[in-house]
Amino acid sequence: MRRSVAARLMRERLAPSDVVVCGLGSTARAWREQNAPHPTYYASDPMGMAPALALGLALARPDRRIVLLEGDGDLAMNLGVLITIAGAAPANLRVAVFINDRYETGGGQPLPNAGRISYVTLAAGAGWPWTGEAHDEAQAARLFAALLELPQLGLVAVHVDAEESPYPPGPGPTSQAEDRALFQRRLSDER
Amino acid sequence: MSGDGQAHAERIVGALLRAGVEIAASLPDSWLSPLIERISNEPKIRHIRVTREDDGAGVCAGASLGGKRAVLVCQNAGLLLSANALAGYAHHHQLPFLVLAVYRGSYEDRFYYQMYKGLVTEPVLDALRIPFHVVDRIEDVAIVEEAAREASLARRPVVVLLRRAALLGDAKAS
Ligand SMILES: Cc1ncc(C[n+]2csc(CCOP(=O)(O)OP(=O)(O)O)c2C)c(N)n1
Repeated sequence: MRRSVAARLMRERLAPSDVVVCGLGSTARAWREQNAPHPTYYASDPMGMAPALALGLALARPDRRIVLLEGDGDLAMNLGVLITIAGAAPANLRVAVFINDRYETGGGQPLPNAGRISYVTLAAGAGWPWTGEAHDEAQAARLFAALLELPQLGLVAVHVDAEESPYPPGPGPTSQAEDRALFQRRLSDER
Repeated sequence: MSGDGQAHAERIVGALLRAGVEIAASLPDSWLSPLIERISNEPKIRHIRVTREDDGAGVCAGASLGGKRAVLVCQNAGLLLSANALAGYAHHHQLPFLVLAVYRGSYEDRFYYQMYKGLVTEPVLDALRIPFHVVDRIEDVAIVEEAAREASLARRPVVVLLRRAALLGDAKAS
């Protein structure tokens, strides 16, 4: 499955009130291309920190559901966060991990032990109450829907094709700090 | 742990509450035990136990993004571990939060394996351009509240390094 298809399947299933946090790399690229209406915060850099940031946001805003779209390289950098999140168990956090088995944005090199890592097993072992793994479009459609119907924390690992993801050519019109302020303004206006 | 430790923890948590802190992330150090214990018993603070200190920095940054004041409580080695996260939130995202870090490896310490931490903590924070303040004694606990305000004003994490005496009083080293 192409990453853009996975991103579209997620966008089509999100509730209008959902808030998205996006890790770095090609997942962010695929999500940006969706032009989704949802408030979205792009968490990286620092690499490896998106899940913790999404947890903090979920704790601060229990009135909103936070959906984290995460890359496998970003998550693998800090697997301990799976334990931290399971311990905190925020009912308003959902996670989708896009697995391309590579550090695509960093140049396309494979992750260590690429192709043999089970993120659902890692999450379940860390104490996550619900996980699912999607290898194709039909499974992704079904599991994203199930993830968003849950009353609690959950994680879907979705396998996507390895597709090129060169570093973006230059900075956009706004800095990270400006994007941060715009995101905060939007969240507080929507209160 | 000493009665002093509990009394000091009480005062530090009082300062956190006055600063409006509602979320705390922590990873232990033996000198922090009374403080972490007191935080975990504080109904006005949501306490999150993390597996790495940079996770705690991420949790605090996310809380700050969502409009809440947050504190990371950890050892100074946790600051060293969190260098990339702290620098990223300070200078790239500009997200404020407070860090209370125990100052291991200085004159109060009796453990040889802590000493390198005392040697490099301040220069690393300087290099990261993260503001920090050292609290030597509990009488200076107001710095905690002031540093939280400084973080909000500067839109950056601010670190308070807590000496053993500030956390535990004069109880025997442990
Ligand atoms: C601490 C750190 N190490 C390395 C990098 C360089 N880097 C940027 S993106 C990336 C790959 C991310 O991998 P993943 O999350 O799987 O994303 P994708 O494969 O979709 O690009 C790397 C290694 C970085 N930004 N920060």
